[in-house]
Amino acid sequence: MKGKEALLALLLPLTALTLWFAVSAVGLVPVYLLPHPLTVWDAGIRYIFGNAGQGAYAGRFLVDLAASLTRVLLGFSLAAVLGIPLGILSGRLALVNRLFSSAINGLRAVPGICWLPLAMIWFGIGIKTTVFLVAIAAFFPIYQNTLTGARLVAPIYYQAGAMLGVSRVRGIFAILLPMAMPNIITGLRLGMGISWAYLVLGELTGVPNGLGAVIMDARMSGQTEIILVGIILIAMIGRICDRLLVSLMRLCFKSARRQI
Amino acid sequence: MSVESSGNTEITLEIAGLSHSFLHNGAAEPVLRNISLSIRRGELVCLVGRSGCGKSTLLKIIAGFLSPSRGHCLLEGRPISGPGPDRCVVFQEEALFPWLTVRENIAFGLRGKRWTPAIRNHQVDRFIELVGLRGYDEHLPRALSGGMKQRVALARVLILSPLILLMDEPFGALDAQTRDEMQELLLSLSQERSQTILFVTHDVQEAVTLADRVLLMDQDSGRIREDVRVELERPRDRSAPPFQQYCIQLHQLLRQTGPRPMIAD
Ligand SMILES: Nc1ncnc2c1ncn2[C@@H]1O[C@H](COP(=O)(O)OP(=O)(O)OP(=O)(O)O)[C@@H](O)[C@H]1O
Ligand SMILES: [Mg+2]
Repeated sequence: MKGKEALLALLLPLTALTLWFAVSAVGLVPVYLLPHPLTVWDAGIRYIFGNAGQGAYAGRFLVDLAASLTRVLLGFSLAAVLGIPLGILSGRLALVNRLFSSAINGLRAVPGICWLPLAMIWFGIGIKTTVFLVAIAAFFPIYQNTLTGARLVAPIYYQAGAMLGVSRVRGIFAILLPMAMPNIITGLRLGMGISWAYLVLGELTGVPNGLGAVIMDARMSGQTEIILVGIILIAMIGRICDRLLVSLMRLCFKSARRQI
Repeated sequence: MSVESSGNTEITLEIAGLSHSFLHNGAAEPVLRNISLSIRRGELVCLVGRSGCGKSTLLKIIAGFLSPSRGHCLLEGRPISGPGPDRCVVFQEEALFPWLTVRENIAFGLRGKRWTPAIRNHQVDRFIELVGLRGYDEHLPRALSGGMKQRVALARVLILSPLILLMDEPFGALDAQTRDEMQELLLSLSQERSQTILFVTHDVQEAVTLADRVLLMDQDSGRIREDVRVELERPRDRSAPPFQQYCIQLHQLLRQTGPRPMIAD
């Protein structure tokens, strides 16, 4: 059963790869638009494992990964640290919700890319701009899902907690957070996904390193295969981060382990 | 005066002149009017009444989830303010914590007890055994049937030995056979520890099976209309004529509690 599922998950990527090989073999698309898969493979190997002498991007991967990962994690953590408590407060207290909801919904309607020029003026080019963009983008899904989760906790669970001797304050940790955990995790996963998207946006602004920077740089120098390498790597790392996030939550919280 | 106060120590719950209204579109709509009742220690009292007459509301007030508009509510002579482990509720709906195992759910209220881990574990084991859930310690609520969930709900409050156990149609969602089993379980557990219980139901047969006393609530006036003592030996035989007699009597009384002019008193 497990094997079958894995096969099904691989079906589309494998088909796409086959098509890509076929298109390249026939020469349907010029190589500067779509290089041969093996060219991309070679470029990827050089980018990841090569030495600095072997070409423009050779061996840069670890440095870029470290830079991008730092930005994503900083921005994402900022979003989580703000989004979860605010979401819980808004979900439980009508007053807080009224205070924040229209402002936050208004801000959410602003397309993320609009923040870029402002962020560049505020923070200049560099890590702060990217972290800001990532934090802004990841905040909304985390906030919204936490709010929904907190709101959906039926009063009967607080009543059950109260009669079993749980004070109001301890109830937040003993009842509210565990009950809302599935929604919180959904929010965090959506936030993590969108973090990678906004990372690339932030790194388009001329920072020297980072996976997004490499993509942009390769466009300037016309190395389509490096762009493709960057895209594939970001997709893979994004997926790994998602799995790690879920595993970490499951490791840390019983309520995550047993409810998702 | 001194005679009366010595009699009071036998009384677990005392409610006097209790009224409650809910706001509907700004207007106060009375649900409970001038309710008075008292429950002695160790008594099992069933509260019977039509749907919507305010049984759950009364239970919530006693539990401390609601505070009454008027009147007072004394538990062992002390006024009730807010919920607490001395008055535990078994709800009709599912209210187990879904991320905790059977064992953890049952142990949830023990934090306040300051027991040593050894005593705590021993007690939890004992109650798992008592409600017949041995072997299910590590199951999550979602892996249990409705009847088993109510066993856990019963165990997690019995283990706290509350002064009064409040049960709001706890077996209403179970099939007839499971309900019989649960009634037997409740009776055996409550009698051996002489647990005081206020049990809400709208099933007359359930009331006659369980109760020492049946209180009938009136829909229109929001009061307790009848107080019937069930003088039957236990275990009670449902096919015996006296049992049926009680059921018929209560059914008739219940039918009279429908729409009819209010009696002034
Ligand atoms: N939170 C509330 N706000 C407003 N009205 C309420 C509220 N809770 C209950 N009521 C009203 O109070 C009345 C009594 O409700 P209650 O739940 O106590 O009835 P009940 O006797 O338990 O009925 P049932 O047997 O169906 O459970 C109903 O008319 C209901 O509409
Ligand atoms: Mg009710």
